[in-house]
Amino acid sequence: MFSLSQRFQVLINQAVTFSVFIIAFIVATSYIDLIYPNNVFNTGVATVNSIKPSLSLRTSRYFGSINSKPKENVRLEFDLDSDLTNLFNWNTKQVFVYLTAEYNNTKNTVINEVTFWDNIITKQEDAVLHLEKAKSKYSVWDISEQFSGKSLKFKLNWNIQPWVGPLTYGEIDTGYELVVPKKVEESSKKQRVN
Amino acid sequence: MNLRLELTKLLNLCFVFSSAYMFWQGLSLVANTHSPIVVVLSGSMEPAFQRGDILFLWNRNQASNVGDIVVYEVDGKQIPIVHRVLREHHSANFEKQYLLTKGDNNAANDISLYANKKIYLNKQKDIVGTVKGYFPQLGYVTIWVSENKYAKFALLGLLALSSLVGGE
Repeated sequence: MFSLSQRFQVLINQAVTFSVFIIAFIVATSYIDLIYPNNVFNTGVATVNSIKPSLSLRTSRYFGSINSKPKENVRLEFDLDSDLTNLFNWNTKQVFVYLTAEYNNTKNTVINEVTFWDNIITKQEDAVLHLEKAKSKYSVWDISEQFSGKSLKFKLNWNIQPWVGPLTYGEIDTGYELVVPKKVEESSKKQRVN
Repeated sequence: MNLRLELTKLLNLCFVFSSAYMFWQGLSLVANTHSPIVVVLSGSMEPAFQRGDILFLWNRNQASNVGDIVVYEVDGKQIPIVHRVLREHHSANFEKQYLLTKGDNNAANDISLYANKKIYLNKQKDIVGTVKGYFPQLGYVTIWVSENKYAKFALLGLLALSSLVGGE
């Protein structure tokens, strides 16, 4: 009556049921930890300062150029301060933090968001960010011809990668805005004058 | 041999397979994607995702956000790729969206992976889904079965054995 396979099935059933409950408990408690007592979705603070853009013309496909037509690329130098310690709890495998800029084209028909810098934080001790004169990680181009003249709004975004369960995203508005200088020639001229 | 008993067993087996199939198709329908659950095959998203991790996909979003981890398929290649959105450009009415992706563990973006000298992905055409949920390591069974030539026989043998033993 109690065959080996039956015992095995009961064992598997119980193990699966038990792990489902444990996972649900972990996911629920870690989410509560994120919103109580401090709701990380709206209490985050990030300040960026003294962003210096530098433009260059690139002719490679890997820098957005089509048929070797010169494409404006922008790189940044920036200061960044933020404390992401609250994002870490028992279900945080890593926090992916990324600095992005939002901008529209002149007719407001195309809306863009691009990443300038990102970082993977795996330990809570490393979650306090303090960067001075950091270089952007990526050379960024726009989908249109030009990047100059675009008005960039900067945001610091985060993504919690859990040990198990749903991925969590959040963003912190830095309030920093910047207009990319008009032309490559002008900015390089300025540099020569300086 | 009792024919009726054997036929009932066969019917039960069919029931198991059809319910698994229905579950998969139902999930596809809800998530609006042809593969709602994928297994990570490469280390390009480490340390977030390792080989064998299971990802749950959702494809009912109108547009992707920067930072979303998406699964995309390049025309002509069968293997789905799981990478993060680095840039997005969309029209104001969300009709079109272009994405540039990159693996967290890769030094460069994915332009060299895209088909036909494209430098962007098309959200509507290329994206299979956005990763919403994560379960570690369980998918390693499928990697093991597909990459080890004896694993299939071992699995079949185990099934046959269990059907023989489970006869009483």
